[in-house]
Amino acid sequence: MRPLRWLRSTFGVVGRLGLVLWFVVPLVPMLLWVFANRWPYPSVLPTELGTDGLHQAVTEGVASAMGRSLLLAAVVALVATPIGAAAARALTFGRVPAGRLVEVILLAPIAIPSFAVVMGLNIVLLRWRVPGLVGVMTILVVAAIPYTTYVMRVAYLGHDLGYEEEARTLGASPEAVRWRVHVPLVLPALTVSAFLAFLVGWSDYIVTLLVGGGQIVTLPMLLGATTTGTGNESVVAVMAVLCVLCPLLLFGAITPIRRRSQPTHSAEIDRPVAAAELVGSR
Amino acid sequence: MTDLAHPFRQPRPPGGHGWWVLPALVPTVAVLVGGLGLVLSQSLGLLPFAGRPNPGLDAYRQVNAAGELGSALVVSLGIAVISTALALVIGTAAGLAIQRRRRGSRAVGAAAAVTVPVPHLVGAATMGLLLADSGLLARLTGSTPGTFPAFVGGPSWAAVIAEYAWKESAFVAIVVVASLRSRAAQYDEAGAVLGASPWQRLRSLTLPLLAPALIVTGTISFVYTLGSYEVAWLLGRAYPQPLSVLAYQLFTSTDLAVRPQASAVAAITTAIAAVVVVIGSMLLRRSRALR
Repeated sequence: MRPLRWLRSTFGVVGRLGLVLWFVVPLVPMLLWVFANRWPYPSVLPTELGTDGLHQAVTEGVASAMGRSLLLAAVVALVATPIGAAAARALTFGRVPAGRLVEVILLAPIAIPSFAVVMGLNIVLLRWRVPGLVGVMTILVVAAIPYTTYVMRVAYLGHDLGYEEEARTLGASPEAVRWRVHVPLVLPALTVSAFLAFLVGWSDYIVTLLVGGGQIVTLPMLLGATTTGTGNESVVAVMAVLCVLCPLLLFGAITPIRRRSQPTHSAEIDRPVAAAELVGSR
Repeated sequence: MTDLAHPFRQPRPPGGHGWWVLPALVPTVAVLVGGLGLVLSQSLGLLPFAGRPNPGLDAYRQVNAAGELGSALVVSLGIAVISTALALVIGTAAGLAIQRRRRGSRAVGAAAAVTVPVPHLVGAATMGLLLADSGLLARLTGSTPGTFPAFVGGPSWAAVIAEYAWKESAFVAIVVVASLRSRAAQYDEAGAVLGASPWQRLRSLTLPLLAPALIVTGTISFVYTLGSYEVAWLLGRAYPQPLSVLAYQLFTSTDLAVRPQASAVAAITTAIAAVVVVIGSMLLRRSRALR
């Protein structure tokens, strides 16, 4: 049986290498183009390195577009996280009439094409003269609520209210319990929720395009316009990398908090089953 | 639970009141019901951009008569079915590879984790740089201009499908790893001790355990692919267009009379998504009943 086992383990290593390549290879041309001043067609590698693409991207306003995207994503995260957490807590511990239906409604934005919703709302947003940025933020908050609610729901399912009751018994005020017991206990999940909501705001293309009508220039708007426009691959690559870099840095920054373990009363929460229960209407 | 020290104080549920769902529920209902209600009324001619209301199915008839709807349906469903199937197969393989903790497992995990937060628009841009006829793949294969297959903007929609399959497989992989973390290792060991071959363990233990996670991720990525715009717009071809691109083109047309047709396409896309979600939840219920 020896050769068979050797064959199998080699097959496994090759398979894993293939999977790494599957995920990594699409990102390679983007990384190569960032510092390519010249890269004429048949050459496999750039023929002249430099920062022309970066300078060009700066002249095309990449900095202010990034600022606008950061603002949009930060607002979406700051609004969608607390309201998602509040809803999840109420669904887990409070008495919510028609709780399952409420849960299905809060998760529904994942399943509904956002372009359809925006095309419908557009007529109202125009007639009521809602500022574009406000309209975009509201719709993206709703788009982020499924993620924040779901992550917090899983967290509260494993959350032991006993800690909070204990603190109350020992004489802590509700405020003190919230900020010194409750929030610290669910902080890892809150951080993940905020990150996912940030990502919804940061990556959006179609909502900003349809509501903003091209007037709100976020980083994805600029990237889209550049990709179809001049055909300058290096500028496209610079903008694309910036678009990935920000979430990746943020993800790295929250990792210490994310990894902090949460004391739970049910030792094992079955995440997929919880997901199934949340998504599937029984 | 009555508070004996303060008999007149309202008893407070330990975790807070149920009405705390409202800050999330109210905007969600307003946006979803408002958006979909308005899109439906516009498609039925009840809310014309200009002129008098003209109720009826005219918009649906017109967009169907133009022959665009049928081909858009075929393109959209084709892309969504193929890319979701690829994402499920590759994502499951990646998830199992990460979970097994062999040589290279950590590298697969890191590569998938990097792919997850990449916006689809960036994915489309870099897939273009990889698969276009002057892209990296054409350079690596040394193909002379004009001989490289039209992955981008060609009739096969290969670049669009590759982008969705790539991004969504990372999502599937992460969920698969999370759902196997708790119990799969024990079951797998027990299966091995009882003499089941790796293939038998995969078919009879791992895949049934994974079924709920795969149904959920498959449904989410199918519906996402169906409703997504930017990838097909950047990497696809001008005609025929998928539903989202067709709707956008009708919506932004200078001819305001075709606006209701845009709403009709949007309503049809939403209806398909709803049907897929219902099928997904029915499959989910069955997979849980089988346990």
